[in-house]
Amino acid sequence: MNTPEDYSDDRFSIPRGDLVRSRVVTDVGEALAAALARELTGYLVLEPQDALLLGGETRGVLTFEAGVPVVAYSVETDSGGTDALADLAVPGPFRVDVFESPSTALSEAHDTDELWVPPGSPAETLADAPDLAARTRDAAPDEWLQRGDDDTDAVAAFLEDDAKLDAIRQQARAEAEARAEQWGLTGQLADDT
Amino acid sequence: MVEAFAVASGKGGTGKTTSTLALGMALAADHDVTVVDADTGMANLLFHAGLDDVEVTLHDLLVEETGTHVSEATYDRFGMSVVPCGTSLAAFEAADPARLRDVVADLAGDTDVLLLDSPAALGSKSAVLPVVLADRVVVVLQPTVPALSDGLKVQEYARSYGTETAGVLFNRVHDDAGIDRIVDRASEYFGGETLATVPDSDVVRAARRAGEPLLAHAPESVPAAAYREAAARIDVRAGDEGDVADRFRSAVVPDTP
Repeated sequence: MNTPEDYSDDRFSIPRGDLVRSRVVTDVGEALAAALARELTGYLVLEPQDALLLGGETRGVLTFEAGVPVVAYSVETDSGGTDALADLAVPGPFRVDVFESPSTALSEAHDTDELWVPPGSPAETLADAPDLAARTRDAAPDEWLQRGDDDTDAVAAFLEDDAKLDAIRQQARAEAEARAEQWGLTGQLADDT
Repeated sequence: MVEAFAVASGKGGTGKTTSTLALGMALAADHDVTVVDADTGMANLLFHAGLDDVEVTLHDLLVEETGTHVSEATYDRFGMSVVPCGTSLAAFEAADPARLRDVVADLAGDTDVLLLDSPAALGSKSAVLPVVLADRVVVVLQPTVPALSDGLKVQEYARSYGTETAGVLFNRVHDDAGIDRIVDRASEYFGGETLATVPDSDVVRAARRAGEPLLAHAPESVPAAAYREAAARIDVRAGDEGDVADRFRSAVVPDTP
């Protein structure tokens, strides 16, 4: 098991599983709900499709045991747990690749407590789906419910990410201006834009 | 004097309509307040204000040549003037959003504060109009990542049209642990003041079921007190009603929703 000071570049590594599905979704909640329904043991690779927010590449891995999220890892920033979820909390769509793995292949990653997420946290942070979060918590072993940080920390981490917040604003500004043109509202735009 | 505020959130489920009516009732203590359900595609204010059985709504004003006067769709309720919108899809489709501009211009001549309950999504021309036309926007947020992200987006849309933020309201807050840190940090990204932090509460849902605004249903509740605090922090500016009416009337407005 990794200790907190054992921060190597490859602190997250899992053997490749079997790709069972690959698709683009606008709502990550769909993929999380599907993982819960099929009691997925394996992992999702989540890639936001928005070029402006990518700043290169953003890719996240979320592992599951019997449909319940266990660890999250953001490849680009090398962050784990709820920080990784905050990295991935960008407006969709996402490409989602679903991999199945034997439980034993995930055991090393699943023992890395610094990467743990609370079971309901991905649904809350990535999909704003409190009902799905509640169902996920119901499916989780009791001792998992204390895992990781609470959702407040994911929100706090999101608000610390200046680059991403600026990117969201720039994207919204560009979108507003493009749509104003499309909607014949350019005359209403503020002078300083 | 009149100042028009769009109450907006960028996503559904944040309690925007509850907030619009609560702020309206609180502001009505000192001002002449008119509340308009400008969310014409997903109208729900009528259910919150006990107006679901009324015959004439904003939809009638937005359909060409019904000959309906604004006053016929304006109801005095809870110390405010309330203009609800109907829920019929056919009426929504028949409505001409350009007429919203005239309706609001008419209302601006006869009130101090205009609150426009605005559509959550910004995906259509008619949906963005309240934010385009208002003097300032009140952004309703939940302390979740998607709600903050969408709130930033709606604020940026508003700013693109020169509509600044009057303040942000954190609504449906579940626990206080860490909320202060979130509010502090969010205030760096959102304009205006943090107006209040309103706790999630069964009393809010009970008010909705009763068809009453929160401040009428449970005026002594903790959320009601938070909304009064929020309203007290909004410094209503005395705009010239003629200017506001002209601005609404002269806005370049799309032909179709």
